[in-house]
Amino acid sequence: MEAIITSGLEQGLLYCFMVLGVYITFRVLDFPDLTVDGSLPLGAAVTAAMISGGQSPWTATLAGVAAGLCAGFVTGILHLLLGLGSSGSAAANYGAKLLAGILTMTGLYTVNLRVMGKSNTPLLGLDGVFEQIEDLFGVAMSGWNLIIALVALAVIVKYVIDWFLRTEFGLCLRATGDNEQMIRAMGTNTAFTRIVGLGIANALVALTGALVAQQQGFADVGMGIGTIVAGLAGVIMGEVLFGERSVSWVLFSVIGGSIVYRLLIAVSLRLGIAPTDLKLLTAVLVVIALSIPTVRKKVVRI
Amino acid sequence: MSRPASLELQAVRKVFFPGTANEVVALNGIDLEVPVGQFVSIIGSNGSGKSTLLNTIAGMYPVSSGCVLLDGVDVTRQREFQRSRLIGRVFQDPTAGTAPSMTIEENLAISFMRERRSGLRLGVTNRRREFMRTHLEPLGMGLEHRLKAQVNKLSGGQRQAMSLLMATESEPSILLLDEHTAALDPKVAATIMDLTAKMVSERGLTTLMVTHNMELALRYGERLIMMHEGRVVLDLGPTEKEALQVSDLIDMFHKVAGEAFAVDRLLLE
Ligand SMILES: Nc1ncnc2c1ncn2[C@@H]1O[C@H](COP(=O)(O)OP(=O)(O)O)[C@@H](O)[C@H]1O
Ligand SMILES: [Mg+2]
Repeated sequence: MEAIITSGLEQGLLYCFMVLGVYITFRVLDFPDLTVDGSLPLGAAVTAAMISGGQSPWTATLAGVAAGLCAGFVTGILHLLLGLGSSGSAAANYGAKLLAGILTMTGLYTVNLRVMGKSNTPLLGLDGVFEQIEDLFGVAMSGWNLIIALVALAVIVKYVIDWFLRTEFGLCLRATGDNEQMIRAMGTNTAFTRIVGLGIANALVALTGALVAQQQGFADVGMGIGTIVAGLAGVIMGEVLFGERSVSWVLFSVIGGSIVYRLLIAVSLRLGIAPTDLKLLTAVLVVIALSIPTVRKKVVRI
Repeated sequence: MSRPASLELQAVRKVFFPGTANEVVALNGIDLEVPVGQFVSIIGSNGSGKSTLLNTIAGMYPVSSGCVLLDGVDVTRQREFQRSRLIGRVFQDPTAGTAPSMTIEENLAISFMRERRSGLRLGVTNRRREFMRTHLEPLGMGLEHRLKAQVNKLSGGQRQAMSLLMATESEPSILLLDEHTAALDPKVAATIMDLTAKMVSERGLTTLMVTHNMELALRYGERLIMMHEGRVVLDLGPTEKEALQVSDLIDMFHKVAGEAFAVDRLLLE
């Protein structure tokens, strides 16, 4: 029982950065960004390749995050280019957003293979950030120790995002997703705010990729499949279970949603569901959630 | 802060979907000079190009030909967000002028930022809150006590008052109002119209107000323009306007519309 809880918490906290990223794109920017399926393994691939190339895991993790940032920028720029000729109708606009993300995601598959030179990079016997923390503090980075360290990181990241979204630039970024016409009339270049927002979101997704690779001991080119649906599941569960009374609060809700989702997964695995069946299970879960009217009303913005 | 500016349009044409079966000539050669501080009311039938005229001035989309000058400076090639520092706008839809899921104070903070680039300072500070309260109080809606309320919790009239405040906050050179009281019930519309007139006269704003209400067009502003099929067909100054009744205006409208109809028929035959 405790094993289920610790593994659920651990995974929920590792993946909460990705869910925060998905929250920023879907909710704050009103941009259904499919880049995340590629930027999560990108963070993992860059980090793993650099660690196995002898770099410090801290540098490697930062590089993985920076790669995710750039992937988000690319999607933002593609969206700008795709949207220039569009009629500006809501449907065409969504089409451009989806297509921009799909194009980046598809391209990233090749990038990730190139970065690693193969489809899987093991980190056996190599130090990641968790081993370095073990050496530094002399405590084992597993079980509750790992969970406490991840909680600390999640809280720090949460407060940085919270602060950022309340800065002048952050307000413009939120208004870009809330009422783009208005904020443009106020003199904001919304193409720019959107590009920055997508960059930050995908940097968070890549952070999850980088940490997961080091925690599980390998990066795999296929590890990003279904990220978007898992991210959505986390966002929806967080909002429904913990509420969204303010931006500051909803960031905690979303982290909670990520944890609940991974706990459910841990339980399902324990009940004997095959790991390969989990993606379908998640998709079905999201569909069921969407069929509940009150949930649907909240999520219909998607 | 910018001063009120003059506005000039030279032979502005705007064609949607040019060269296709859906081609629409929304503006068909508009020449218009509005001196500093003038309040112009614009009327005209549906589809006569009133909104397109304001959108063109604001730079929402490029003109097909012609020039737009603000204070003698050609801004025709500037993008919307570049000239927005000079232009305040309020739309018919009360939800158009504010960010619905953000709070009153966050929305107002955005309008304060228009003057300069936004940075990584906190958007809402205590000093700014004080400033916001002094600006919200004159609206007489009690919004100064609800700074942390989400804007989507406000009524249409309150939202439109917010829109008006945000549009005029940074003292724009030009104020563009597009049927901004049309979606409100009559009493609220009157309140918003009074607020508008007060703000415009206090700040001496150069203002273009589109309205479908002929009475409003006659009561407010020192100049009245009528549009028809993408052209300015009537342009009355303060003295001519003074003597006019709504019924005169309707007669003029039918005369202009009828003539255009007759010309169309002539051309077809
Ligand atoms: N964004 C647009 N795309 C295509 N056609 C448009 C667009 N905006 C306006 N039009 C067309 O231009 C004409 C003038 O419209 P508009 O300026 O909105 O008229 P008004 O505001 O006077 O009712 C109409 O025929 C309208 O269909
Ligand atoms: Mg109109």
